[in-house]
Amino acid sequence: MTPLVEFRAVGFAYPGAGRSRARPFRLTSVSFAIEPGEIVGVIGPNSSGKTTLIRLLTRVLEPVEGEIALEGKRLQNWGRAELARRVAVVPQGVPREFPFTVEELVLMGRYPHAPGRYFENPADVSAARAAMDATGVRHLASQALASLGGGETQRAVIARALAQEPRLLVLDEPTAHLDLRYQAETAALLRRLNRERGVTILLVSHDLNLAAEVSDRLLLLAEGRLVRLGTPEEVLEESTLTAVFGCEVTVEKSPTTHRPHVQLVWPDGRR
Amino acid sequence: MSPQGRLALTVGGLAALLVAVAAAALFLGSAAISPRGVIGAVAGRAAAESVESVVILSIRLPRIAVAALAGGALAVAGVAFQALTRNPLAEPSVLGISGGAAFGVVIGQSLGLGLTVVEAVGLTGFAFAGALLAAAAVYLIAAAGRGVIQIQTLLLAGVIVGIFSASAITVIISLLDFNRLGGVIHWLLGNVAPIPPGALGLFAILLGAGFGLVLRHARELNLLALGEESAQQLGLNADRLKLTIFTGAALLTASVVAFAGPIGFVGLVVPHMLRMLLGPDNRLLVPTSLAGGAIVLLVADTVARSIVAPAELSVGVITSFCGAPFFVYLLRTRYRGLM
Amino acid sequence: MRAAALAVGLVLAVSPPAGAFSARDMLGREVELAAPPARIVSLVPSVTEALYALGAEARLVGVTDFCDYPPAARGKPSVGGMINPNLEAIVALQPDLVIATTEGNREETFAQLKRLGIPTYLVAAHRVRDVTDLIARLGALTGSQHAAGPLLARFERRIAAVAQAVAPLPRPRVLYVLWPEPLIVPGREALVTELIRLAGGESVTAGEADAYPRYSLESAVAKAPEVILLANHGANTGPIDEPKWRRLTSLPAVRAGRLHRVEGNLVHRYGPRVVDGLEQLARAIHPEAFP
Repeated sequence: MTPLVEFRAVGFAYPGAGRSRARPFRLTSVSFAIEPGEIVGVIGPNSSGKTTLIRLLTRVLEPVEGEIALEGKRLQNWGRAELARRVAVVPQGVPREFPFTVEELVLMGRYPHAPGRYFENPADVSAARAAMDATGVRHLASQALASLGGGETQRAVIARALAQEPRLLVLDEPTAHLDLRYQAETAALLRRLNRERGVTILLVSHDLNLAAEVSDRLLLLAEGRLVRLGTPEEVLEESTLTAVFGCEVTVEKSPTTHRPHVQLVWPDGRR
Repeated sequence: MSPQGRLALTVGGLAALLVAVAAAALFLGSAAISPRGVIGAVAGRAAAESVESVVILSIRLPRIAVAALAGGALAVAGVAFQALTRNPLAEPSVLGISGGAAFGVVIGQSLGLGLTVVEAVGLTGFAFAGALLAAAAVYLIAAAGRGVIQIQTLLLAGVIVGIFSASAITVIISLLDFNRLGGVIHWLLGNVAPIPPGALGLFAILLGAGFGLVLRHARELNLLALGEESAQQLGLNADRLKLTIFTGAALLTASVVAFAGPIGFVGLVVPHMLRMLLGPDNRLLVPTSLAGGAIVLLVADTVARSIVAPAELSVGVITSFCGAPFFVYLLRTRYRGLM
Repeated sequence: MRAAALAVGLVLAVSPPAGAFSARDMLGREVELAAPPARIVSLVPSVTEALYALGAEARLVGVTDFCDYPPAARGKPSVGGMINPNLEAIVALQPDLVIATTEGNREETFAQLKRLGIPTYLVAAHRVRDVTDLIARLGALTGSQHAAGPLLARFERRIAAVAQAVAPLPRPRVLYVLWPEPLIVPGREALVTELIRLAGGESVTAGEADAYPRYSLESAVAKAPEVILLANHGANTGPIDEPKWRRLTSLPAVRAGRLHRVEGNLVHRYGPRVVDGLEQLARAIHPEAFP
C-alpha cells in the first residue's frame, strides 16, 4: 500500500541561515513515511523542527533538499486547493479578535472544495454541520468564537479542519494552554476520529505523554534530525530522552493504558 | 434566511434608498427650480438651453453621480484595506495614496498650467499620477526585499508615504504665490464637482475595475482573518490575494482622489456601520458598502452645497466634522458590547 | 488724451462682423457672443467697481461676496466666493457673459463654465496701462464708451498731477507690507509696485519675481526702508501689527516716524479707484507735497 505521506531526505534552512552559525539548518535529511489510518506523533525539544515539518508538508515552505510526496505524487505537483482537500491543519486556536461565529469558521473549511464559489452551497453546509457534530460544537454554531473558552475553541477549530474532509489531519500542539479536562477530551476525540472515520493523524506535541497515549508511532526530532522512529515503547527510552532533552527522566509503564509514561526527575537544586 | 437572500435584501434595500436620496438631491440647490421644473428637465421636456436643463442635467445630475460613485469607492476601499491589514482603523487615506495625489495636484497648480492643458488633462491627471506613484512607493516599501507584501509593514509604509507627501506639500505651499494658494487649499479640502460625461464614464470604469477586483475575492478576505499561514493551508494563494486587493483598493482610492480630492472618514465609518448591522462577512460588506458609501457621501455633499447657500462648503469639511464624533460613538458602543 | 484714443481704437477693433459680436479678452482668447452682453456676472471685484464707474451696472446681474464697492454692489445677487463660486447660482442668473480673472479665480471654474456653454471673458492687470486697457475694454463691451472716454481722461489728468508734484522730490525707499505674518510684499508683477514709483517712491522689493512673494523680515530690515506702508484689508480683517514694526528702531522709517496705513483695496484691485490709491500713496510718501 502506498504510504500517505513520504519525506525523502528532506532538508530545509531559512534563507541566509547557512552563513550565520547561530541559525543552522532547520531540518537535515529527514526521511519517514506515514501510512494511511495511523496516528503519528512528532515530538522533540523546541526548535527541533517540528513546526517546520508541518509547514513543509502544507507547502507554506519549500524544501531546500529532498522531496515530499503525498499519495505517491510529489508535493509540488499538487495544486493548493487540491492539497487542502487532502491535508487539513489544526492550528492553536484562532487569532485574537476573530470576529466570526463557529459555523462561519467551520464553513471556511469548505473553501478548498470550490474556491471560486461566492457563497457555500447546501452540500457545504451539511458537511460543516457534520463536522460540528463530530466534535460536539453543533450547539455553539451561532456563537461568536470570541465568547468561547479554550476547549470549545479548540473543538471548533478541529471542526473547521474536518469540514475540509481531509485524509490527513495535522494538529500543531493541540493541547497547549488547555485545561486537563480538555486534554483528555482531545485525546478521546482524536482516537474516535481515527477509528470511526479512518482519518490519518499527524500530531505535533511537546506533551510526551499525550503523544505516547494517542499515537501508533512516534517521530523524535532533535536539532533538525530524525533521531528515532517507532512505537512509543521503542522511542521513549530513558537514555534517548535524556540525551535529546538534556535532563533526567524515568519511563514507566502506565498502569491503566500500558503505554510508556515519561516522568521528569525533578532536580533538588543543590548542585 | 440564506446568505444569498440576505445579500439580495440588503443590497436591494440600500440601492432603493440610494435612488431615493439621489432623487431628493435633484430637488435641492441654490438655483430655485420648482419640482415640476426638475421633473421636466429629467424627462427631457425642458428646452436645451434653459436654466432648468443646464442646472439639472449639467450640474446637479453629474454632481450626484460623482458623489455616489466616490462614496461607494471609498467605502469599498475601506473594507478592503481593513480586511487586508486586519486593522479596523485602516482607511484609504492612511495608506498614503491621497497624500500622493495631493502632491500631484499641488505640483500641477504651482506649475501654473495654461488653460488649455487644464481643460485637457486637468488636475485629475496630475492627481491620478501622484496617487499611482504613492501606491507604488507603498508597495515597494511594504514588499521590501521579500517581493511580497508584508501586511505588518503595509500600514507603516502608508504612513511613511503620507508623511512624506504632506511635508512635500507644505514646502511647495510655503513657496507658492499668494494668488494660487486659494485654489490649492480648496482642492485639499475635498470637493465634489460636476464633471463632463466623458470623464464621468472614465471614473465609472475605473471604479468598476477596482470594485470587481475586490468583490471577486470577498470570500478570500474572510479567510485572511485566520492568519496568512492558515489561509494558505486552506488553499488560498495569500501573496497573490494581497497584491490583487492592494491593487483594487489603490485603484479605487486613486480614482476618487483624482476626481474629487482627498475625502476622509467615509472609508472608515461606512464599513464599521455596516459591520454593526450585518456582521463581519466581507461577502456582504463589500457590495453593501458600495451602496452605503454612495448614500453617505451623497448626503454629505448635498448638505455641503445647501447649508450655507449660495456659498458652498467643501464636502471634506462635512465628512471630517461628522465623521470624527461618529467614530467616537462607534468605538464606545462597540467596546461596551465586548466587555 | 492717450486713453481716449485707446478707447476709440478698441471700439473699432471690436466692431461686430455680420451678426456675431465677438471680442478678444485680455488673455488673447476669442469670446464669441451673439450680441453685446446684457447680463454680466462679474467674478472680479475690480471689474464690478469698473462697471459701476462706467454707469453700466444695469447690465450686471451677479457679483461675488467680495464685491463690496460701491456699496450698491452689495445689493446685487451674489454667486459665492472667488475660489468656489456656485455654478448653479451663476446658471440661474442666465448670464450671457462671465468676466473672471486668472488671479483670484480658478482655472477649473473657467473649464466648468465653458462646459456649460457660458462665455467667459478673462482679465488680468499688472500695470497701470492694463487698468486703463481694462476699463476701455469694459466700456466697449457694455456700450459705454461715452463714459469710458471722459473717465480715462480724468485718470490721465490726476496721474499727471501726481507725477508732476513728485518729480522734483527725492525718491525714498519704500517698504510695502501686504501681509505682516508671513511677510508678503509686492514684487515685479504687482500693480502697487508701479504705483509706488508713480507716487515718487521706490519699492525696496521691486526686483522680486512674481506678484506677491514671501519675504524675510531680515531682508526687509537690511533694505533700510525710509517709508513703511502697512496695507489695511478692510474693517474686519486681521491686525496690521504696527507695534511690531515700531520696535525695529534701526529702520530710518521708524526713526523718522514714517509708518503709514494704506487702504489695500485701493491699490490691489485694478479698478477705477486705482487713482485714489495712487493719491493715497503719494500723500503717505511725500506728505510735504500734498498738504
